[in-house]
Amino acid sequence: MKGVATYMYRDFIRWIRYRVGVISALVLPAAWLLFVGLALPVTFTGNYLDFITPGILVMTILTAGISSGSLLMFDKILGFLNKFLAMPVPRESILVSKILFISVRGLIQATIIIVLAVLIGATMMNPLQYGLVYLILFLFGVFISAFSTTVALYLDDHDSFAAFTAMVTMPLFFTSSALMPYDAMPGWLATIARVNPLSFAIDAIRDVGAGGVPVVPILLLFVFTAVVVVMAGYVFRKVTV
Amino acid sequence: MTAILTEGLTKKFGNLCAVDSLDLSIEKEIFGLLGPNGSGKTTTVLMLTTLLAQTKGSASICGHDTLLAPEKVRDCISYVPQDMAVDTNLTGRENMLVFARLYGISDPKDKVDELLAVMELSDRADDLAKTYSGGMRRRLELAEALVHEPEVVFLDEPTIGLDVAARRSIWNHIRKMTKKGMTIFMTTHYMDEADQYCDRVGIISHGKVAAMGTPQELKSRLMKDVVTVTLEGEYHPVMLEGAVFVGESEGTVSFTAGNGREALPLLADALKQAGNCVKAMSLREPSLDDVFLQSVGKQEEPKGFEEWKFRMMLHRRN
Ligand SMILES: Nc1ncnc2c1ncn2[C@@H]1O[C@H](COP(=O)(O)OP(=O)(O)OP(=O)(O)O)[C@@H](O)[C@H]1O
Ligand SMILES: [Mg+2]
Repeated sequence: MKGVATYMYRDFIRWIRYRVGVISALVLPAAWLLFVGLALPVTFTGNYLDFITPGILVMTILTAGISSGSLLMFDKILGFLNKFLAMPVPRESILVSKILFISVRGLIQATIIIVLAVLIGATMMNPLQYGLVYLILFLFGVFISAFSTTVALYLDDHDSFAAFTAMVTMPLFFTSSALMPYDAMPGWLATIARVNPLSFAIDAIRDVGAGGVPVVPILLLFVFTAVVVVMAGYVFRKVTV
Repeated sequence: MTAILTEGLTKKFGNLCAVDSLDLSIEKEIFGLLGPNGSGKTTTVLMLTTLLAQTKGSASICGHDTLLAPEKVRDCISYVPQDMAVDTNLTGRENMLVFARLYGISDPKDKVDELLAVMELSDRADDLAKTYSGGMRRRLELAEALVHEPEVVFLDEPTIGLDVAARRSIWNHIRKMTKKGMTIFMTTHYMDEADQYCDRVGIISHGKVAAMGTPQELKSRLMKDVVTVTLEGEYHPVMLEGAVFVGESEGTVSFTAGNGREALPLLADALKQAGNCVKAMSLREPSLDDVFLQSVGKQEEPKGFEEWKFRMMLHRRN
C-alpha cells in the first residue's frame, strides 16, 4: 500500500534516534532470558532454556506490541495525524504502517533472544523451524499491536492507556504457560493458562521446537489476527471521519 | 473554478454551534479568517481540509466536494495545523523527505533541496529539527506544505508565538506562494498582519461571519477618524451627533467620527456629563482592530466553551 513504507521509515528513524528506547528494547529481553532461563533452579524438563525461550519470545512480542497503541495516540495528540489525514495517501496506510512497524521491531528483538539463547545452551533448530517460529511471532505481533491500537484509539488519553497496558501485560504473562508446563501448575491456573492467548502462541512455538508443524494453531492465530485487524480498521475509520 | 466555496457550512458540537451557516467564496488570494478564541476558525479549517464532517451545508475545494470526493480535495490542498507538528528527532531534510515520498513526488531529493532553499533552511537542513527556532520550524512546515504544489494552502495561525522578524519572513514566503497562483486560507489573531497582507478578510464571531471584505473596504465603513478614550472606572454610555460608538476593550472606548478634531471636545464634554472619568483621548486613523472590535464586540469566549471543558474534566475523572 502506498505510503506504508514511508510511514514505517519515519517511525523507525524516530525509534533509532531515541537511544534509551532502543537499548531498553534490546537489553530487556536479554535480561529476562538470562535471569529466568539461567538463574531459576527449575527442573521440569531436561533443558529449561529450551522450555523458557518460547515464553520469553512471546512475552517480548507482547510488551513490544501492547504499547504500540501509544505510537498512534501520540501522533494524534501532537497533531501529526491530522497532517497525514489531510494528505492524498490512503488513510488506512497509517494504521497498517504502525502495526507492521511494531511487529517488525518485535521480530528484531526476538532475533536477539534466539541468538542469545543458542549461545547460552539452547538447542539449535533448522531453518524451516525458525521460519515457522518467525511466522507465529509475526502473527502474534500483528494480533497484539492491532489490539493495542484499537484500545488506544478508543481510550483516547494517554494515562488511561498506560494503566490499561500495565493491567494487561503482567497478569497475561503469569497466567500463561510461559514459565511452567500445565501439569506443574495448580488446577485453577492450568484452566486459565489454556485459554490465555499467550499460551496459544507459546505452545505453538514449543510444538515447532519439538519437531511438529502446528497447522491448526497457526491457522487459528491467523483468523484471530485478521479479526482484530479488521476491528482496528473499523475503529480507525470511525475516529478519523 | 472557485478555489474554496462553502454554502451554509455548519458544525454543531452538541448544543454548541461552533460554525454557523458559513458562506464563503475564495479565489486565488490570501484570505484571512479573523475571530476571537473559540469563534470557530479551527473548526472551519478542519471541515475544509476533510478532517471533520460538517453537520449541515456543503464545502468544495477546486470544485470537489469535501464529503463526496475527499481524496480529490486532499490532492489539491495542504494543511498546516495550529499546533506545530514537526518531528524533532528528524533533521529538516528528513522531515521534508517523508512528506515528499508520501506525496509521491518523482524526484523527492531535488524537490526537497529546492524548497529548503526557498525557505532559507539549506544551511541547517541536516540538523535535527529540535535545534530549530520556532520560526524555522514554521518555515519547515510551510516547506512541507508546498512539496506537491498544492492549489490551496490552509494555514491555522501560521505566525502565532513568533517574533516580529520571523513573522515578517513567514509573510514574505506566503506572499511569494500566492504569486504562483496559490490560494491561501489562513486564520490569525494579529489584526495588523491581516491588514497588511491579506487580500480579503472575514471576521467571525460565535461561528457567524460578522464582516467580510478587503481590509480597506472594512475600514472605510467606519468614518474617517477614530477617537479613543482612556477611562478611569466604568464606561457610562453617551450619545452624540457626529460620533458613533465602536466598542470597548480594556478600559478604552472608541468612537468613529467624520471629523475627529471637531468631535474631540464635544465628546469630552458629553463623556464628563454622563459621569465618565476621562484620563486621556487621542485621535487616529481607523485600523482593522476597530473593525474587529465593532463587529465582534467585547472579546469573550462563547459560553459553550466552559461547559464543554467542564464535561471533558468530568469525563476524565470517571
Ligand atoms: N471536539 C470538540 N468537541 C466539542 N466542542 C468543540 C470541539 N472542538 C471545538 N469545540 C468548540 O467549538 C468552538 C470553536 O472552536 P475552534 O477551535 O474552532 O475555535 P478557534 O476560533 O480556532 O479558537 P482559537 O483562536 O482559540 O484557536 C469552541 O467553543 C470550542 O470549545
Ligand atoms: Mg484555532
